[in-house]
Amino acid sequence: MNLPNPWPDEPGHIAGRPLEEWNAAYLKVECYFHALRLRNHVLLGELVLNVLDRAMKRAPQELEHSATEIATDEMDKLLAHWFRDVLKEPTGSAQILSTRGRLALYLADMPQRWQAQFLRPGPWPEEFVTAMRTSYMDAGPDFQLARMSPRPLDLGPIGTLTNLSRLGFWKMILLWMLLAAILIVIFMTHWRGNE
Amino acid sequence: MSNPHPSGAPAPTITALPRISGGWRVFFFYTCAFVLTGFVSLLFADLIWRTGWSPAGTLLLLLFVILFLLAAVGCVHGVFGFVLQLTGDSRRITRLADYKHQSITSTSTAIVFPVYNEDSARVCEGLRATYESLARTGHLDRFDFFILSDSTNPDRWVAEERRWFDLVKDLNALGNIFYRRRIQNEGKKSGNIRDFLSTWGKRYRYCIVFDADSLMRGETVVDLVRLMEAHPNVGMIQTVPALVNAESLFGRIQQFSNRLYARIFISGLNYWAQSFGNYWGHNAIFRTEPFMQCCDLPHLPGRKPFGGQILSHDFVEAALLLKENWQVWLAHDLEGSYEEAPQSMIENAQRDRRWCQGNLQHALVVFARGLRGLSRIHLAMGIFGYLSSPLWLAFLLTFNRILYTKQSSGLSDIPVRAFTPILGFMSVTQHAFLIFTICMTVLFLPKVLALVDLSYDSVRRRQFGGLHRAAFSAVLETAFSALHAPLQMLWHSKFVATILLGMGVNWATQNRTADGTAWSSAIRAHAGHTVIGLVWGACVWQLDRTTFWWFAPVMLGMVVSIPLSVFTSRAALGQLARNSGLFLTPEETEPGKELVALRSRVTEQEANPIEFWPHWGLAHAVADPYVNAIHVSLLREKELNPIYVEALLQFRGGGLQVLVLAERLLSDGPDALQPAERMFVMIDSETMAWLHREVWVRPPTKLAAWWHGAIQRIAR
Repeated sequence: MNLPNPWPDEPGHIAGRPLEEWNAAYLKVECYFHALRLRNHVLLGELVLNVLDRAMKRAPQELEHSATEIATDEMDKLLAHWFRDVLKEPTGSAQILSTRGRLALYLADMPQRWQAQFLRPGPWPEEFVTAMRTSYMDAGPDFQLARMSPRPLDLGPIGTLTNLSRLGFWKMILLWMLLAAILIVIFMTHWRGNE
Repeated sequence: MSNPHPSGAPAPTITALPRISGGWRVFFFYTCAFVLTGFVSLLFADLIWRTGWSPAGTLLLLLFVILFLLAAVGCVHGVFGFVLQLTGDSRRITRLADYKHQSITSTSTAIVFPVYNEDSARVCEGLRATYESLARTGHLDRFDFFILSDSTNPDRWVAEERRWFDLVKDLNALGNIFYRRRIQNEGKKSGNIRDFLSTWGKRYRYCIVFDADSLMRGETVVDLVRLMEAHPNVGMIQTVPALVNAESLFGRIQQFSNRLYARIFISGLNYWAQSFGNYWGHNAIFRTEPFMQCCDLPHLPGRKPFGGQILSHDFVEAALLLKENWQVWLAHDLEGSYEEAPQSMIENAQRDRRWCQGNLQHALVVFARGLRGLSRIHLAMGIFGYLSSPLWLAFLLTFNRILYTKQSSGLSDIPVRAFTPILGFMSVTQHAFLIFTICMTVLFLPKVLALVDLSYDSVRRRQFGGLHRAAFSAVLETAFSALHAPLQMLWHSKFVATILLGMGVNWATQNRTADGTAWSSAIRAHAGHTVIGLVWGACVWQLDRTTFWWFAPVMLGMVVSIPLSVFTSRAALGQLARNSGLFLTPEETEPGKELVALRSRVTEQEANPIEFWPHWGLAHAVADPYVNAIHVSLLREKELNPIYVEALLQFRGGGLQVLVLAERLLSDGPDALQPAERMFVMIDSETMAWLHREVWVRPPTKLAAWWHGAIQRIAR
């Protein structure tokens, strides 16, 4: 890969941006590829530089955006483009494609088996293409909806007791007073008996 | 009143079956228990008569009758079970028909794992071991597996998704092992199963319910389906899971007693229950259609703790199936069904707290019209399993009260003659000792019988490490139980009291060290027990020193509760006991392939655990390219289900604006959102897909600093 060269920049700058800014962009892009479990350093470096190469071309025209913003946007576009080429699917939104693509990468075991194919232009090995295109997630079989409805349960005498909790305030007070009176009568009788 | 189903799906049709009836076995079994109780109660009443009747004595007798009846029922279970093991009982579900040759090719069975914030690694490894074992039977194509998540903790939720996906990838089981998480966990576990049945139930003839820590041998799973095929009127078969994989001393003692004693107890239970068995919530198979017809639980009237949702749903579901004349059996002789148990006394009590509330709630159901008598017995036994503790406490306190009254009166005892002629020759002390001896016999006879039963079986004897080791272990287990029982009494009494008062029990988060309960946790949990033991002991000592020694075992358990709790939770002591040949179980000495596979994989997972950090789940669901893809894809599938669409609409009706929240999440970090707001963001597929892009594409200045740290961790 060739970086744009020579740069009409002063030392310490590339594409009109300070080196620190590109370094931050490099780290962010590298982070994402790391998160995709890309572990081969040579491959990783090559891919990151490819993304930065594209970003640097855009950088002079997009002064309002930081190098990191441009680089990550390029990375996103590169991925979307590659997913579209590999999966060859009628695309929905970019988000659906991105999700589908990442899922396919994981199911096809890209980190272990196909690192060298990642973001490479085609043609790709048939096995890899098949693995990517047939990798669908099925979280459940087709629905077969039915309705479960609770059948009434007659609680018998207990049901009557639970209805007590629905009594109004004064009725409840009256009930407690009645209970207290019964207890007092029992206590008095018992006390007299002991005497 | 049922809610209209959002999908407009039909309700299952009702199947009418001829009424089944229990037999003379129930009558004979309980007559034995009642006769024994009647006889000993008479002796006890006579003793009270001889030492001076009083109102407190009447109360004491009443409590004695109830408590002894419960002990007698346990003892009769043991005796009947022992005799049946010797003579062989042909009235077992596995003996009623030749099921082994039953074809299952036309069947479809769902194996479901309802989970709620559990360790996803253990759940998935249990599933994997069962799956691989089932694959070895050649019948895997007849089964589908479902992880039915109700997890509310985002970390647990995302970990489940990740583990599930890795599992299906490893096993190449996409389209065979499924995962779904509900939007709202209404109805808890029973609601979770109901949700599954409403969505997919009609696809499957049978459903086998696992717990998060369950495991089953493939052959056992196939046998369950064969049994159901052979008996079309059976609605449910419950296996008796063996406790396995305990490491702590407490866990191994529980495991040993389960494996040694359960055999005769459950045989005894099956003797009288027959086709009126019970359901324990997991490791059981049910016929989907009748379950859907009969077992959607109604809400109970009144306020909590009794009103509302039925917490311990399993007993009630079995009762509802029996009510409609479906048979429920215990397949107690079907091996290869396993579960795990708490590893410490405190964890055990925490589990008991949940079960206690559910069982007490059955007091509302036990008198429901139309339930079968045997269902009422199952429900009542569950209730008394917890009520017996406060009754025992009341018995001890009443006895102390009588003692106090006697001592404080300063009067001497002038015992009268017994009114039972046969006891005429006995002194009061001999009389009391006779009752004590009978009580001890009733309590310990089943344990002795279990050992005798073991002595007849050379294979089992070897599996338990030999008769001598098993016997010595049983003695130690009995000593431990004697110390543990008073603590159970105090705990259960507290649970019952707090539940009746409508109060919760606050469990401080338990500090577990790498090797069991921390001393600080044990002190917090047991300080009250220790104080009660010391004060109570001192009072009894003051009252009467002879009585004190009778009470000593009860007090001792309380006084030593803190060290007992800590030391029995230690895996090192569990290992030491194992190396000494103590508390060995068949699954330890001769583990099956499934158990070996499970243990090795769980050990592997424990060596590389997921290191949760604050908002781990959210961070991964947003920033990890693969986890985000899995999460978003699962959410998109969920949105296809009309039931969830309804739930999502309700959720969104709460006035939360997901994009505003998502923006705040990016700019201010997760702590800027309430937990419910974070969950709200996490259940929206579009937002989660958008967040993934934003978190990687946005410049650092527009992202909260927290995200930079999260990205660094994820990209490592």
